[in-house]
Amino acid sequence: MNSGLVLGLMSFLFLFFGYLGVPVPFALMAGVLVGASFTQVSHIAIIQKMFDGMDVEALLAIPFFLLVGELMSSANVVIRVVNLSLALVGHVRGGLSQVVTVFSMFFSEMSGSTTADVAVISRALGRPMKNEGYSPAFIAAIIASASTIAALVPPSITAVVYGAIGNVSIAGLFMAGVVPGLMIGFGLMIFCYFFGPTGIQRPRAPFREVAGALKDASLPLMIPVILLGGILTGWFTPTEAGVVAVVYILFVVIPALNRGHIRLLAYDFCLAGLIFSLPLITIGAANAFGWLFAYLRGAIVIADWITGLAGNDPHLIMLLMVALFTVIGDFIEPVPTIIIFMPLVNALTEAGNINPVHMGVVLIATLAFGLITPPYGLVLLMASKFVGVRFSQALRAACPIYAVFLITIAFTIYFPSVVLWLPKHVLPASVGCFPNPSGPGYICPP
Amino acid sequence: MTIAVKLVAPRQRHLKWRALDGLELALMVLCGVLLFSFCTTVTFDIITRTIGTPWLWLQEVTSTLFIYAIFFGAAVATRRNDHLYLTAIAEALDGKARLVVEIVIRLVVLGVAISFIYFGYLNFLRGFSSFRMPSMTPIATLYAAIPICGVLVALFTIEQIVNGLKNGFDHKESEAGPINAADPAGLRE
Repeated sequence: MNSGLVLGLMSFLFLFFGYLGVPVPFALMAGVLVGASFTQVSHIAIIQKMFDGMDVEALLAIPFFLLVGELMSSANVVIRVVNLSLALVGHVRGGLSQVVTVFSMFFSEMSGSTTADVAVISRALGRPMKNEGYSPAFIAAIIASASTIAALVPPSITAVVYGAIGNVSIAGLFMAGVVPGLMIGFGLMIFCYFFGPTGIQRPRAPFREVAGALKDASLPLMIPVILLGGILTGWFTPTEAGVVAVVYILFVVIPALNRGHIRLLAYDFCLAGLIFSLPLITIGAANAFGWLFAYLRGAIVIADWITGLAGNDPHLIMLLMVALFTVIGDFIEPVPTIIIFMPLVNALTEAGNINPVHMGVVLIATLAFGLITPPYGLVLLMASKFVGVRFSQALRAACPIYAVFLITIAFTIYFPSVVLWLPKHVLPASVGCFPNPSGPGYICPP
Repeated sequence: MTIAVKLVAPRQRHLKWRALDGLELALMVLCGVLLFSFCTTVTFDIITRTIGTPWLWLQEVTSTLFIYAIFFGAAVATRRNDHLYLTAIAEALDGKARLVVEIVIRLVVLGVAISFIYFGYLNFLRGFSSFRMPSMTPIATLYAAIPICGVLVALFTIEQIVNGLKNGFDHKESEAGPINAADPAGLRE
C-alpha cells in the first residue's frame, strides 16, 4: 500500500473511531497501529514512540500547573479573585460579562488550562449571570470565549506542549502570548460594552472597597508573580516555577485563607494525579501518530503544497497555516494537533524564515479559536453543558465574538514586532537574539 | 462521606463489578501518591541545586514517578470513563444501535490494550540492553509501565463489555459522560 493510502487510512480510522466515541488516545493508537501494519515500521517502534512522547522533561510542568488550578478551585480561594474583578469592572456596561473576562484574565495566569478555566468560571459566575437575566446562550458564549485566554497567557499548558515538542523556548512562548491574550481579553470587554447585554448597572465601587478586595485577593494574585518572576529572573525553569507555585499554595495560600481545606488535600492530589494523565497519555499517542505521519512524508507533502502556494512569503505561509489549523482545530483538540503537525510546522517555519516563537503564538491563538468553533469546540461544548443550554444556541451567540479572535490572529501575524516585543526585552535569547560581542545588549534577527 | 468513598466514581455503576472498586480506589490513591512524590522530588531538586550540592538521581526518580503516574492514571480513567473524547455518538442512540456502537468502542479499546500488553512486553524486554544515567538501571524498569497499563485497561474494558451485555449500556445515571471528563473540576462528584 502506498504512503498516501496509509496516511488516509490512519487518519480516517482516528477520526472515525474518535467520533464514534472511542477515547482520543485509543483512537489515535488504533489508527497508528493499523497504519503501521502496512509499512516497514514495527509495532514495537510505535509503542516506543508513544513512550518517547511522554518522557519529555518539560512536560512535567503540566501536572504542576493543573495542580495549581485544581487546588485554587477546590479550596474556593478563587472567590476572592471574583470579588476583586467585580470591584474593578462590575460597574462598567455589561456588568457580570465584564467580570467574567477580567476574572478569566486573572485566573488564566494561575492555571494555564482552558478546561479548568471554563469549569471554574461557569461555577462561580454562571448562576449569578442567569439571576441577573443574561441569556444562557450568551453566558456560555462569553465564558467559553474568555476561557481561551488561558491557552495564550503564561502558564499556558498549550505553550508548554508546543515548546516541549517543537524545541521552542517555552518562556519565550509565554511572553509572546501576553499581547494576543490581552487583546482577546480587552477585545471581549469592548465587545460586551458595545454589543453585549447591558446587565445590571452597579455603582462604581469606592476606592476603599477596591483596595479591600485587592488585599483579600493578594495571596492568590502572588501566584502569577511567582510563576513569571521565577521564569524571567532565570531562577526556575517553567517546570520548577510550577512546583514552587504548588508549594506556595500548600504552605501559604490554603493555610492562610481556608485552613479547613487542608484535610481534603489528599483528595485533591488523587484527583489531580488522574487529571494530568489524561492529556499526557493523549500526547504520547499523538506523538506516535505524528511520527508515522512524518515517516510517511505526510508533513513534507503538505509543506510542499503550502510553499507551492505561498512561496517563501512568511505572512502567506502563516495565513495558510492558520486556515489549515482552523479546519483541523474544528475536529481535533489543540494538543494532538500540535504534536501531529509539528514536523510540518518546523518545515514551514524554516521555509518562511519565521521566528519559531512567532509561528508558535500564531498557531496557539488559532487553536484557542478552534476551542469555540463548531463542530468540536471543546470549551464551548463544556460551557453549554455547565450553563445548561444547547450547543447550537451557544454557538449562535458566540458567532459575533469570533471577530475578536480573527482580529487578534491577523494582528499577531502582521505585527510580529509588537508580539515579540516582550520576549525580546525580557528574554532576548528566547527569540533568537544573542549577546553583542562588542558591547552591551543583544543583537536580534530582523 | 470519606475521601476513600469519594474516590470511586459513582458514574456507570451498572457497568462495574463491585469487586474491582478496591482496585479503582488503589489506583486513584497511587495517582495521588505518585503526584505528591514527584512534586517532592522536584522541590528537593531545586533546593539541593540552590545550595550547591545537587542530587542528580532525583531527576531519574522524578521521571520514573511521572511515567508510572501517567500510565496508572490512563488505566483508571478507562474504568471511570474520564478520558478525553471527540464526541459521544453512542449516547444519542438507543436499543440495538447503541449496543453495537458501545461494543465496537470497547473492542477498539481492548485491541489497543492488547497491543500495549504484547508489544509493550517486547519493548520491555528490549529495555534491558539500555541503561539510565546515573544509576545504570535498565530502562526496562520504565517500559514496564506500558504492559501493566495494558493489563489494567483490558481488565476494565472486559468488565464494561460483560456488564454492558448483561445490564445494557444506556442507564440514566451514566449521563455525566465525556464532556465532564475533559473538565478537571468537573471530575468532582
